[in-house]
Amino acid sequence: MGVRTASSADEPTAEDRLRLIEGITDVGVALQDVEDVLTDLLDRVCEALGVDTGAVLLLDARSGELVATAARGIEEEVRQGLRIPLHQGFAGRIAAEKRPVVLDRVDATTVISPHLVARGIQSLLGVPLLEGGEVVGVLHVGTHAPRRFTDEDVSLLQVVADRITSATRPRIAASERQATLALQRGLLPHALPDIAGLGLASRYVPGGGNAVGGDWYDVLRLGGGWVGLVIGDVSGHGLHAAVIMGRVRSALRAYAIETRDPADVLSRLDNKLQHFEAGEMATVLYAVVEPSLEQAHVSCAGHLPPLLTVPDGESTRFLDLPVDPPLGVRLGFRRHATSVPIPPGARLCFYTDGLVEERGTPIDVGLERLRATAGGDTAEATCATIMSGLVGSSILEDDVALLVVERLAVDEQAPLELRLTAEPPVLAHIRSAARQWLRSTGADADEVDEVLLAVGEATSNVVEHAYGPEGGELHVRFERDGSTLTVTVRDHGRWRAPRGTDRGRGAALMEHCSDEVRVDRTPGGTKVTLVRTLRSIGGGS
Amino acid sequence: MTVQIRASQDGATATFHLRGEIDLANHVAVEEQLTRAISNEATLVRVDLTEVSFIDSSGLRVLFALTTRLERLQIGLELVAPEASPARRVIELSGLASLVTVRTDLA
Repeated sequence: MGVRTASSADEPTAEDRLRLIEGITDVGVALQDVEDVLTDLLDRVCEALGVDTGAVLLLDARSGELVATAARGIEEEVRQGLRIPLHQGFAGRIAAEKRPVVLDRVDATTVISPHLVARGIQSLLGVPLLEGGEVVGVLHVGTHAPRRFTDEDVSLLQVVADRITSATRPRIAASERQATLALQRGLLPHALPDIAGLGLASRYVPGGGNAVGGDWYDVLRLGGGWVGLVIGDVSGHGLHAAVIMGRVRSALRAYAIETRDPADVLSRLDNKLQHFEAGEMATVLYAVVEPSLEQAHVSCAGHLPPLLTVPDGESTRFLDLPVDPPLGVRLGFRRHATSVPIPPGARLCFYTDGLVEERGTPIDVGLERLRATAGGDTAEATCATIMSGLVGSSILEDDVALLVVERLAVDEQAPLELRLTAEPPVLAHIRSAARQWLRSTGADADEVDEVLLAVGEATSNVVEHAYGPEGGELHVRFERDGSTLTVTVRDHGRWRAPRGTDRGRGAALMEHCSDEVRVDRTPGGTKVTLVRTLRSIGGGS
Repeated sequence: MTVQIRASQDGATATFHLRGEIDLANHVAVEEQLTRAISNEATLVRVDLTEVSFIDSSGLRVLFALTTRLERLQIGLELVAPEASPARRVIELSGLASLVTVRTDLA
């Protein structure tokens, strides 16, 4: 193979080059994604400069590596996920030194990419992609035949680099934002769980521009009627914050089902975060509500205090809680848990700082505005009022997450109706929901236990006896008229006599724990009605 | 699982502390775990139901079965259930209390 000289007839003229460069900015294919746009641009660059290969590597600032994002003539760099650490090899040097580099010897001592060597590239020219003086990537071109790249080549490539940066950066930001939103929508609860005795409502609004990311809320059934309420804010923005938030949210759930002490949960979470995600920070507030809904135990890790509205006299104030450090700051100290009484009709608002912070204004102004605005007949109405009062039609810089929880007043109590598949795991769900509902009637612990026992037997019977292998529905309804409790357990299967040895205790338990037990068997199914007077709540509602 | 079992040993006495709810969904697993954990060298088995917040006829089946089996093996059995606890009520209602010693605490 002969050496090509600069005066070779088949090389583009300066005019051609200019035209081709201008052509690059006309790549107005708005619908293409980043890799397609870059590949297209590289085609034109290769033609304009008369080179055989071209590649764009983008900087992943977090890992300090250049990632091959688009290539022509050496597509395997992209396919195989090539990553070059800063300062190493050819591309790494260009990025670290922020200046062009020409290589006339391409082997393992001068480049990291094995693909360049394998393809027999003999000369390379690379320039940094700069945005506001900072390196965002590297663009390089190469030839199979040895070539002396001139100063003109370098300037030309530099111009191309600038155009590439301005053409693709907005696209990268937009696609990242899409990914973050999708991730976040996937992670945040779509519908809040149905918890007897509690009214729940929430909002999540991503901030404008890049400010999408680390805020979240969660409502957790913890078993036995306990409920966990979470509001949190992972530092940072964008996809990265959203990914960390996903991990924190998931880890918190794991610890929450192991211990009911909110301080313990946050301490473990802190430990886990610092161990696996060193350098990340988050504020979190976690409240554990007792099955009776009478009180919550709250632990605060650097988060803004919840707002409590109490119906008697309609007072609204921020909870006075000890504020422990956020997660990710230091370890080895004891976190606090504070008991907060929740009278019937009371409402708690959990929120993130995006709701109350405004650039240039002290945060107390925003907090006071929240306190003055929070009002409404239901949790949902309160959410709507707060959002319209504090957000209105402005696009906020930061994300906003808002969770409103109301302890329903006793006389607002609707019947509890559950329709579930007749399988063993649902029995625990029924107990959990029933426990809360029963407690919110004011019944005492002993009576609640007896009712749960009777209902447990009736529902277990449906699971065990009503259907064949294809299963079926289990329908339970609790309602109260004054102090008379009526529970109906229905199936639409076929009744059959109990089987196996060592049975029969269930019916005795049901009888003992109820004032009246009625069993109606029809071809369409069986209905068991349990009636009991709740002595602990007296008469009237 | 909605129930946790913690075992402790003191000489030839094996104590199992149960915490949570025992029902149709998990009683088979509970029975398996308990029977697997008891060796024939034990002279006394104590099942601590203090922290059991719910136990129904399925759970009773486990206790009755354990009672029968350990009696055959001449291993003593004691149940621990404080007064008025969910477990205690169910044990008394079922007649199990007449077959096995029921204590109010571990002391």
